[in-house]
Amino acid sequence: MSGPLAGLRVLELADEKGQFCGKLLGDLGADVVKIEPPGGERCRQVGPFLNDIPHPDRSLSFWYYNTSKRSVTLNLETADGRALFQRLAATADVVLETFPPGFLASLGLDQAELRAANPGLIVCSLTPFGQTGPWRDYLSSDLLHMAAGGEMASCGYDEADVPNAPPIAPGGGNAWHTGCHYACMAIMAALVYRTMSGTGQFIDASVHEACALTTESAIANYVYRGEVLRRQTGRHHAISPTNRTQFRAKDGVYVTALISGGLNVRNVRNLAELMDHYGMAGDLLDPKYQDPAVVAASGKHVIDELLAAFIASLPAEEVYHVGQARGFTWGAVRVPEALLDDGHLHDRGFWQQVEHPELGRTYVYPGPAAIYNGSPWEISRRAPLVGEHNEAVLCGELGLSRGTLSVLTESGIV
Amino acid sequence: MPQARALENIRVVDFSWVRAGPWATRWLGAFGAEIIKIEWPESERGRLPSSTTPQHLEVNLNTSGNFADTNVNKKSLSLNVRSAKGLEIVKRLIAISDIVIENFSSRVLQNWGLGYDELCRIKPDIVYVSMSGYGHTGRNHAYTTFGPVAQAVSGLTHLSGLPNEPPAGWGWSYMDDTGGLYGAMCALTGLYHRNMTGRGQHIDQAQMISSVPLTGPALLDFTVNGRGSKRPGFPPGNRAHWPGTPLMSNYRGPTVAPHNAYRTHPGGYNDWCVIVCHSDEEWQRLVGVMGMPAWAEVEKFGTVIGRLEHQAELDAHIEAWTMTLGKYELTEHCQAAGVRALPVQSAEDRVEHDPQLRDRGMYQPMEHPVLGTNKVQNAPFKLSETPAVNQLPSPLIGQHTQEIIEGLLGYSHAELRAGFDDGTFWPAKRPRFPYLEDMVR
Repeated sequence: MSGPLAGLRVLELADEKGQFCGKLLGDLGADVVKIEPPGGERCRQVGPFLNDIPHPDRSLSFWYYNTSKRSVTLNLETADGRALFQRLAATADVVLETFPPGFLASLGLDQAELRAANPGLIVCSLTPFGQTGPWRDYLSSDLLHMAAGGEMASCGYDEADVPNAPPIAPGGGNAWHTGCHYACMAIMAALVYRTMSGTGQFIDASVHEACALTTESAIANYVYRGEVLRRQTGRHHAISPTNRTQFRAKDGVYVTALISGGLNVRNVRNLAELMDHYGMAGDLLDPKYQDPAVVAASGKHVIDELLAAFIASLPAEEVYHVGQARGFTWGAVRVPEALLDDGHLHDRGFWQQVEHPELGRTYVYPGPAAIYNGSPWEISRRAPLVGEHNEAVLCGELGLSRGTLSVLTESGIV
Repeated sequence: MPQARALENIRVVDFSWVRAGPWATRWLGAFGAEIIKIEWPESERGRLPSSTTPQHLEVNLNTSGNFADTNVNKKSLSLNVRSAKGLEIVKRLIAISDIVIENFSSRVLQNWGLGYDELCRIKPDIVYVSMSGYGHTGRNHAYTTFGPVAQAVSGLTHLSGLPNEPPAGWGWSYMDDTGGLYGAMCALTGLYHRNMTGRGQHIDQAQMISSVPLTGPALLDFTVNGRGSKRPGFPPGNRAHWPGTPLMSNYRGPTVAPHNAYRTHPGGYNDWCVIVCHSDEEWQRLVGVMGMPAWAEVEKFGTVIGRLEHQAELDAHIEAWTMTLGKYELTEHCQAAGVRALPVQSAEDRVEHDPQLRDRGMYQPMEHPVLGTNKVQNAPFKLSETPAVNQLPSPLIGQHTQEIIEGLLGYSHAELRAGFDDGTFWPAKRPRFPYLEDMVR
């Protein structure tokens, strides 16, 4: 079986803004050809690097975001480079590009002309702010998007935990992830439409708008109630302070221990039984806690004192699993690498062995967001080396002679 | 001529509730699919409890503002699926639908008698997307999640915060938003595959597991280099690097300074901006915007290594300057000079003050029968041939029951009335909203 997007050809002209979108499509079976400038796309210069030795073929960030792709180098600022790109675009189903608005058009590669030559083509421009508007040409970065998108306004600390804390931008490049999720969704909708109509289209996608959409109820709180939410340590933004949900376990690892629906007689009893098993129930077995009014007035005592002390007495992983086993929606705040020891992920065959033949090594990569039972997700190859598929694509598919390829390479076109 | 819709003639049976599943089907609806949301007032989670009901309205099943924004472009069928009659009706609906989507715990649909095998018997090419916390297989499949727990267990929470402090994490259910996007992507890829091959499938999406690939570079730093992310100076807050710790990647992008949040005038709760310089050239532009202050011309700030080494001092100087300007004014000055800067924006800022979102029509007014006319969030992409424009306001609970039962499934009006009497379409003893009374006339 092959992936759900088998047979699709995607040309990706993308930097940090769009490379994850190409991976999402490639790991689902599309043939993603990454068009890079000669010498390689600049995301190859982003660390960490293999053994901390910088090199365009050793960026682990690039490795991760460019699985299941092939690489062709083309200088689009030359007439020969453009002509080759146009020939490739004629064979493509999707072109994904992240250049500043107007850049491709200035090279004579306007989306409308590419689509006129290939009416089924879907061109997606994923840019910081979209193709129009007063901020269209503004510069950005992950941090900038997390600020303007509203993520930072919702993330930070209780004053008691970190006085005068700034709003915090969660790390990991999630502004780019968010832009890519929405762009991927739009591309997929356009592809479904094409299966019915045969027609391609142009998609103008904006990272800023994607981030601005990704703060759950914050916009609704403002629109419907005029409220602006406050930041809290490790839990939801809120109009007024809510109970803590993050507690330090015995091993120094934190636990997120929410009480679903708030404290009530039933879940206090459940909590008492769980904690009593460890001799940590405190006064929770007292019959007074069968009175909803007592429970309602005891939030601080139950959570900040008893629950916090219980969690402080055990390793975080144990709290997580015994809590879940009792129906509490709790979790350990893990470092990413702790997931490598997660039995559940192993049961689901999550981790992928990806071969790097030029290094004679195989490395472990994270696997899929979902299991497709009829068309499996798969990393078909490790990220390409710079221009690794120039010969296969330009000679093998477009029919260039190796002599021509050599000349084009010498001239800085390939 | 009416605009074409990308998912014209696609019908989705939507069992989803709370947030992640409804966020997925919101987008399928925006693309033009007919979303039939199956609800039951006694076990509803998403409309209630509501902390987003306007102050002048009573809190009830039809007044949650967050529900209204999350559930545009859908129809609501109130149906007791746990009754034999309700199950029979939902099977007739599935037989004429393309997608079944739900975000229950892992065994719920199967226990109702609607597992994937049964769905295939009803509709052989059905695309079934389950969006549970941990997936339908694996030893912990019965574990439950909320966004914050999925974020904690998967490693996402750890990536957010200041070094030597507790994790700041995410101030909302990022993985309800993002899990919803994966649910939609799964449905769309499954639909594409069905259209190309004629075959449906079960796509088992899991909120906790969908979070893990979002920490990819940190994971590879461990699986390849053996470097864990529990280390001094990590996570580095808003900085690319925490002063006084070894230089190494923070998984957000290039390691540069300045790269931080700074207070702006007049110093209110959300009066902050962020400034990032990716190169010495960009730094020199910032020096220009700041008016070439003497402190900035000192040699130690002229190179990226120098700025990283003296970052605390650098940030203090920059903030002394940013405190003199409002965040929008500062953004305009910086961006006009080619310096990366943007304001920290609250929800109010985005809706009222962001000139870009206004120009792009991000928040468009829409009329809702109970909530009145309010701004609703639009799609962050513009499709030239099939615009993803909100068409229907969020449904009142059960609002489309008659339309679906009589119009789509062909039951008689007498059968509809009988179903209201016997508790199939509404709990027999529960007061009905006026629009439901109208239905049974």
